[in-house]
Parts: sequence; structure tokens; C-alpha cells
Amino acid sequence: MSTDLLNTLVTSAIWRAEQLDEQSISSALAWAEVSSLEEKLAKAIPGSQPEGRIARRGAVRAALKAGDIERARALVERYVAEKDATRALKTALRQLLDDDARSLAERFRHAANAVQDARELARWLQEGGAFGLAA
Amino acid sequence: MEIDLADLRKMHPRLPEDLALVMTGRAALSLQKNGHGSPVAIRLDLEQAASEGKLAWPTSDPVQMDQHDNKRLTEDGAEAVTLALAHRAYGWRIVRRMQQGESADWLLEEANEEVCSRIALEVSGVARGSIASRLAEKLEQVSRVEDEDVDQQWVGVVGFEEPVAALQSSKAVQT
Repeated sequence: MSTDLLNTLVTSAIWRAEQLDEQSISSALAWAEVSSLEEKLAKAIPGSQPEGRIARRGAVRAALKAGDIERARALVERYVAEKDATRALKTALRQLLDDDARSLAERFRHAANAVQDARELARWLQEGGAFGLAA
Repeated sequence: MEIDLADLRKMHPRLPEDLALVMTGRAALSLQKNGHGSPVAIRLDLEQAASEGKLAWPTSDPVQMDQHDNKRLTEDGAEAVTLALAHRAYGWRIVRRMQQGESADWLLEEANEEVCSRIALEVSGVARGSIASRLAEKLEQVSRVEDEDVDQQWVGVVGFEEPVAALQSSKAVQT
């Protein structure tokens, strides 16, 4: 798929997701689609190029908006490990995760630790498989 | 300068066709709601240099007004007018829409044989009244963002009551 086509598709997808957000309609699936298209753009354009960096931030940002923290973390790990990742990009990607954690803690002030624990547990289960057998 | 919103897709081949139609339709309804018919005289403020232009659009059926949210009518309508103006005035073309949290709404490019310059464009619309305070607010907002991934940061604001479209670089604030 050409980058021109991917740019057109991601434009449509972002626009649709924003419209759903503005009408307070559940937009998680729409943002998941955005994240997937941004990831495809990131595969097509290296992180040394501006549009590649925009796509990498976009893939993570949209995964967070879709509520998929595990995907967001995995993408950050992958992009930060890339040879041509600039320091500014690495900082920006980590900042997205930090901002999401901070915003969650503010929204659920009294349950912040429980939410964080649940996320850690989910991560542990995903990495380790059932009963930790895959770990 | 004459701007015809019917040509928006020709100006920006990467703009999805359905999106171009919706944006153009919303611009039409925003203008018609204010009693304007196509074509209308429009004041164009490009880098603070004012001129008079003509803005045309494919007429939209006002019966469809209920299908649209008022805020979206103004914002998407402003995007259609600004993107058309950016192309007519400077030859810029859309690369893609950017997500909220990036430095602007749109990433555009100015491509010639020697260089490819990237432009971040933030757009806003004003349904009634002057655009002056919105333009100042957006320029201030954009000038606060450092974006290493673009070469220029611009703001476009469109007013629909007395048709006016302004395009200004964030450098206008910094200097």
C-alpha cells in the first residue's frame, strides 16, 4: 500500500474518530483503526523522517485513546529501540505513556493504585500466559 | 483571487473524497446560514496583507442543516475555506490530518523541484462576529509549540458572518 493511500486513509480515520468523540459516542474501535493505520505508516517511513515520527507518535496516541495500554506500551518499546529513533522522539513517546498514567490517576483519584495494579496484572498475564507458563 | 470550493479535491489529491464533500457542504451551509449566496466577496488576510477575493461553492440544500452539529458546521467549513486558500495562495497540498496533541490539525507540503517544506496548519472558524481575537488566540497557541518535524507553523481562521479568511505564520507572533 502506498504512503499516499495510507495518508488518505489515516486522515479519514482520524476525522471519523474525532466526530464520534465530539458526539460522546464510543470511539475506541475508531481509534484502534487509526492506531493500526499509523503503525502501517510508521513501517513505511523511517523514524529519521518527520512523517515517520508523526506516525510513530500517532500510533501510540491512538492506541491510548482506544484504551489499549498494552499495545501502546509495546509500540513505545519497539519505536524506542529503533536505531534511528531521535532523542526527542523517544522522550515524546515515553511522555505519552506518562501523561496517560497521570490522567488516569487524576480521573480515578481514589482507585488510582487499583487501576495501576490491574494494568500491571494484565501485563503480567499477557507476557506470562496462563498460570505464568510462558514466562 | 478566486476560490472555488468545488475544486478542493483537485487542489488536495490526498484529501479523502467523502471528507472533501462533507467539508465543502458544511462551508456552504455556514455561508448560506449567514445569508450569503455563491459567489460572495471575501476579505483575504494573507500575512496581514488584506485583499478582496471571490469565494464560490456548490450550493447545499438547507434542509440538510439538521444533519449537522453547529460547531462542526463552522469548524469543518473553515477547514474547507482555509485549505482552498492555502493552495490558491501558496500552492500547498495536504499530506495528512494530524491527531489532537500534535502541533496542528493538518500537515501540508510545499513541494517544488528543489525543496519540500512541511507546514503545520491549525484551523478555526467563527460563525458570527470578528475573527481578530480567535486569530490572536490560535497564533499564541501555535507559537507555544516547538515542533521539530515541521518547517513552518501557520494558523487559518475563517469568519462566516462577514466572509473573511486569514492565513498567518506563527512567526508573526515571534517577531
